[in-house]
Amino acid sequence: MIAYLTTLIVLVAISALVGLALNVQWGAAGLVNFGVVGFVALGAYTTALLAPPLGWFPAMIAAAALCALISTVLAFLSIRLEENYLAIVTIGFGEVVRILLLNESWLTGGAVGIADIPRPFVNLVSQQHNDLVLAAFALALVAGVFTLLETLVRSPFGRALRAVRDDSTVAAALGKPVLLLRVKAFATGGAVMGLAGALHAFYLTYIDPSQFTSIITAYAFMAVIAGGRGSNFGLLFGAGTIMALLEATRFLKDAFAVIDGTQLAALRLGLIGLGIVLLLILRPQGLLPEPQRKVRDFFPDHEGSS
Amino acid sequence: MMDSTINRRHLLAGLGAASLAGLAGKPALAQAAEIPIGMVLPFSGATGPYGPDMKKAADLVVKIINDGGGILGGRKLHLYIEDSETNPTVGVTATRKLLDVNKVELVGGFWGSPIALAAKPLILAANKVEMVSASANGITDGDTKGLIYRFQAKSSQWGPVGAKVMTSLKLKKVTVLAQQNPFVISMIEPFKAEMARLGGQVMDVIQYNPDQASYRAEVEKAFGPEPDGVFCLSLLTDFVAISKEVYRGGFKSKVLGLGTGADADGAYLKSVTPEVAEGIHHLQPAPPMDSAAYKKFVKLMGAPEGTAFLFAGNTHDQVCVTALAMEHAKTQEAAVWVKSIREVCNPPGEEVDDILKALEMVRAGKKINFVGAGATVDFDERGDQLNRSFLHQVIENGKNKIVEVLT
Repeated sequence: MIAYLTTLIVLVAISALVGLALNVQWGAAGLVNFGVVGFVALGAYTTALLAPPLGWFPAMIAAAALCALISTVLAFLSIRLEENYLAIVTIGFGEVVRILLLNESWLTGGAVGIADIPRPFVNLVSQQHNDLVLAAFALALVAGVFTLLETLVRSPFGRALRAVRDDSTVAAALGKPVLLLRVKAFATGGAVMGLAGALHAFYLTYIDPSQFTSIITAYAFMAVIAGGRGSNFGLLFGAGTIMALLEATRFLKDAFAVIDGTQLAALRLGLIGLGIVLLLILRPQGLLPEPQRKVRDFFPDHEGSS
Repeated sequence: MMDSTINRRHLLAGLGAASLAGLAGKPALAQAAEIPIGMVLPFSGATGPYGPDMKKAADLVVKIINDGGGILGGRKLHLYIEDSETNPTVGVTATRKLLDVNKVELVGGFWGSPIALAAKPLILAANKVEMVSASANGITDGDTKGLIYRFQAKSSQWGPVGAKVMTSLKLKKVTVLAQQNPFVISMIEPFKAEMARLGGQVMDVIQYNPDQASYRAEVEKAFGPEPDGVFCLSLLTDFVAISKEVYRGGFKSKVLGLGTGADADGAYLKSVTPEVAEGIHHLQPAPPMDSAAYKKFVKLMGAPEGTAFLFAGNTHDQVCVTALAMEHAKTQEAAVWVKSIREVCNPPGEEVDDILKALEMVRAGKKINFVGAGATVDFDERGDQLNRSFLHQVIENGKNKIVEVLT
């Protein structure tokens, strides 16, 4: 049971990291990224390739750095295009990464993938505690990233980002460097996605291209929507809820003999879909929405406008 | 105050409660004597169609064993089945759940190499047995601690058989059109080597990515130079698209496909019109269809005589072999009974295909050579299956016709 829970903790941590990253890019800065899975895969493969020669920590840092770099390039690429084209560019990027990983067998092992990826701290503890240590590491990573991003979002940089998201013309008119802000936000998110990929590689110790399907992107968007766009607390809650729903439904068939595997498969995904639809109808701002300050928070006497 | 509607919170709470009940209640309710075994099977995603029959076969044989008095002195098997969703990450959580929550001694099933490969480190770390119905060489490569058994032909065994079929169809100049996946790519080199040995020539090897929207470019490239034959190493969805593309283009080269694409337990013929399928040859590791064991199995599944179950026999055999090995080793301890597998499966010994009779003979201390429904279930020291026969069929008038059985 403990090992199963640690698995869930690691998987929630991975999806929380991906979600937090998307929450900077899309939640705070309004930049749609449909290529999330590409960055995660890139992070995972960089880690898998560099961890044996360099050790896990440099490999993880390299994964984050590479993803940040590529995010920067992508953000600049879309500079001449209208905002929404970033979404299309990122879809393309995700596909390019997938196809490269699958076909450049000399580097990535192609469809066979990469096995025996070394884990952090593996020499410090016995084998049975290996998973526990990784779960603790995953939690620490999420805590670190969360603190960092939360500080960032509350800083003047974060406020400027939200201003750009809500109305870039106004922000530009106020002298904010709109493009630079966007590139920075996109790169930050990219780096965190790289970290999530690294954690994925450490946990599974075997990666192949079929693990990086667009469902990762979909779950990231679901987590952000469920938690409340722009809210990091909400995101953690959203990522946890989605994973809990997915895994909890596994036990339905053990508890009720009438539900068999085939029905459950359909039921599980159906339930998630239903949950999201209900959520959007009943609570479109998310479960723990981003705190929005209104004019009357500062001027209680001033009625009417906001 | 009563709230008459079910809102989201209640739904979530209910789900949570249900899962907790599942977590907490199950081990307490279960008889202490039950022996938990598990399988990871696909019920959704690209390979979803294979899961239900594999589950049915395993469930049926578990029931037979339990109704016949169980094993290890009257203990019953409890089979837990999880959905892999054709996704390695999901396969890993499913395996984790089976290992840690249900405490299974065996994680079987495993249609599809990526999932079997991703689950392998977990199962080995837990010192439990992994039985797969997947082909990639990597599964039994490396240090397996002797815990992995393959109930399927290895990829590298498929290639030479393909070359033999090509030769018997008198196709000399051939092209390979292959999907990028670990199951298929380890077939290519052995195929080329065998073709060269038999005096044929492989003109080109074209690889494509799974889940493409269109395969027109690849089909044009493979069939354009008009080779005598094209060896299509595909799975179901891509083979459906490819064969339609070939029909549309009016190409004349003979097509040799894999059973995973051109048959898929009959799913292929349901997906295309008879004109598209006409004349396509395909091969696959097949159950010994003429054996008494297989005929009994078809009857057990309630299917008409002569039905080819490609994978269902494998899960049936996985359960049988597990039960027999446990009975032979007189323990449910995975690391111990795994050593008994070759004792009860390989010759020498009295051949027996009835699981209850086989169990009785093992109890009586007789040396048996169990014969399964999906294969004769003999294994080499790496856990790879021996003596897999292959079935070469051709599609005529919308029906599969057996050409020959190759070994």
